[in-house]
Amino acid sequence: MEKSQSSNTPARNMAFHCGPIHFRDPMGRHLLKGVTVSLTPPEVCVITGPSGSGKTSLLRAIGGLNNASVAERRLGGKTFSEKRLPEWRTRVTLLLQDAPCIHGTIRENLAFPFSLRNSASIEFPEQDAIRLLHLVGLSHFDLDHAVDGLSGGERHRLALVRGLLWKPAVLLADEPLSGLEPELAQTCFELLVEFAQNGPAAVICVLHEHRFAAQADTVLRLRDGTLY
Amino acid sequence: MEHYIELSGFDLFLAIGLVVIASAISLFLHLGLTRSLAVAAARCMLQLGAIGLVLKKIFQVNSPYLVVGWLGVMLIMASREAVRRSRNKYSGINLDALLTMTFTSLVVGLLVTQMVIKVRPWYDPQYVIPIFGMIFGNSLNGICLCLDRFLEYLRSRRQEVELRLCFGATRQEAVIEGARQAIRTGMIPIINNMTVAGIVSLPGMMTGQIVAGASPVQAVAYQIVIMFMIAASNALGAMLLSTLAARRLVSNHGIELN
Repeated sequence: MEKSQSSNTPARNMAFHCGPIHFRDPMGRHLLKGVTVSLTPPEVCVITGPSGSGKTSLLRAIGGLNNASVAERRLGGKTFSEKRLPEWRTRVTLLLQDAPCIHGTIRENLAFPFSLRNSASIEFPEQDAIRLLHLVGLSHFDLDHAVDGLSGGERHRLALVRGLLWKPAVLLADEPLSGLEPELAQTCFELLVEFAQNGPAAVICVLHEHRFAAQADTVLRLRDGTLY
Repeated sequence: MEHYIELSGFDLFLAIGLVVIASAISLFLHLGLTRSLAVAAARCMLQLGAIGLVLKKIFQVNSPYLVVGWLGVMLIMASREAVRRSRNKYSGINLDALLTMTFTSLVVGLLVTQMVIKVRPWYDPQYVIPIFGMIFGNSLNGICLCLDRFLEYLRSRRQEVELRLCFGATRQEAVIEGARQAIRTGMIPIINNMTVAGIVSLPGMMTGQIVAGASPVQAVAYQIVIMFMIAASNALGAMLLSTLAARRLVSNHGIELN
C-alpha cells in the first residue's frame, strides 16, 4: 500500500535523491556528466537548457528508461537498485515527451496503471478523472471515447491527467505543456503546482517557457551535461 | 497396410508432364516463371529422392542413434529455416529458435510417440521420423508467424511499452499484449486447418495413409492426434519463443531492438 501512503506521508520522509548520473548516447556523446538531482516535497522544479543539452536524457535516466549509470536512487530514505526499477517507477513516474497513448479508450488510457502488479490494488478514481479532464479542457470527451483521433495537444493533456491521477511521489514531465494555448498551458502548470502542494509531491518538468521557470520553486539549468 | 499401387520410374516420368502443363501456361501468358518452375521441380525431385534414400537406409539399419541423429539434422534445418523466413531479426535469434524447437518437439513429440501412439521400440523410424517431421514443419510455421508479429509489435508500439514501464509495469506486463497477439497469430493456421479438416480438405497424412491402404477410420484417428499435436506444439513454441525474445529484447530500461 505504499502508493496510497505517499500522499499522507510527511514531506521530510519523501526526500528524493537521484545521482550522480552519467550518460553517453548511442553515438558516444557524454550527455550527462555526474548530474545529481535532490528535492524535498512539496517542490516544483523546472529544468531548462538549450536544445540537445540532455534534458530528456536526464528525465529518462531518473525514470530508469535509458542505460545511464545512476549511482543512487533514493526516495523517502529507501534506496532502489536497478532490479527494483518497476517499484521505483510507481513512485517516480515519467510523462514521456511524445505523450503516447495505448490503443483503446480514454478510460483504458487513464486506468491501465491501476491494474499493474505494483499498483497495490488502488482503484481507478473515476470521479477524479472526470474532474481533471474538465479542468484541462477535455470535458467534451466521454471516458469511453477512443483515443485514436486525439490531437497532439489533447494527448499531452490526457497524459498529464494520467500522471496526476496516479499520484506518484515524484512526477517527471518532459515538456508536458507543449502544443497548448498559453492560457491552457498556465492552467495545466497550476495543476502541477497544486498537485505538488497537496501531495506533498515533487514535480520535475522540462519546460522551455521562461514564465514557468519564474513560477517554479527551483530552476535547474543544464548545459554541456552539467547543472549550473 | 493392405496394399497400394507402387509407382515406377516411368510413372514419375509421366508426372513430369504435369509440370510441363504449368510451364506451358507460364510461356503462353508470359509469366516469366518457366525457369524457376523447372528449377523448383528439379530441386523437389532431387531433395525428395535424396531423403527417400536416407530414410530407406535409416529404416534398414533401424538404430536409435541414427534415428536421433537424423532428428537432430531435421531440427537444426527447421530452426534455421524459421529464422530465415522471419522478416525481423535480432542478435541471438538463432539460438532462441533452436532452443524453442528443441523443447517443443521433445515435449510434444515424446508425449505423442511414447504415450499416445506407444511406439515400440521407442525409436521406430516408421513412426518417429514422420511425426517429429510434422512437428518441426508446423512449429516452424507457427513460430515464424509469432516471431514476426512480436518483433513488429515491439518495433511499432515501442512507446506504448515504454509508457507501461513508466507507470511501474514489469517487463512482462509491458509486453504481454504483444506476446498475446503474437501467439494468437502463430495459432491461427492450425485453428483454421482444424476447422475445415475433412470438409474443405483432406489432410496430407490422412490422405497418405488411405492411399497406402490403411483403414479410413484409423487414418482419421491418426490425423486427429496429429492436428492436436500441431496445435500444442504451435502454442508451446510461440509462447516459448516470444518469452525468449522478450527476455533478450526488453530490459528494465525499455526495448533494446534497433
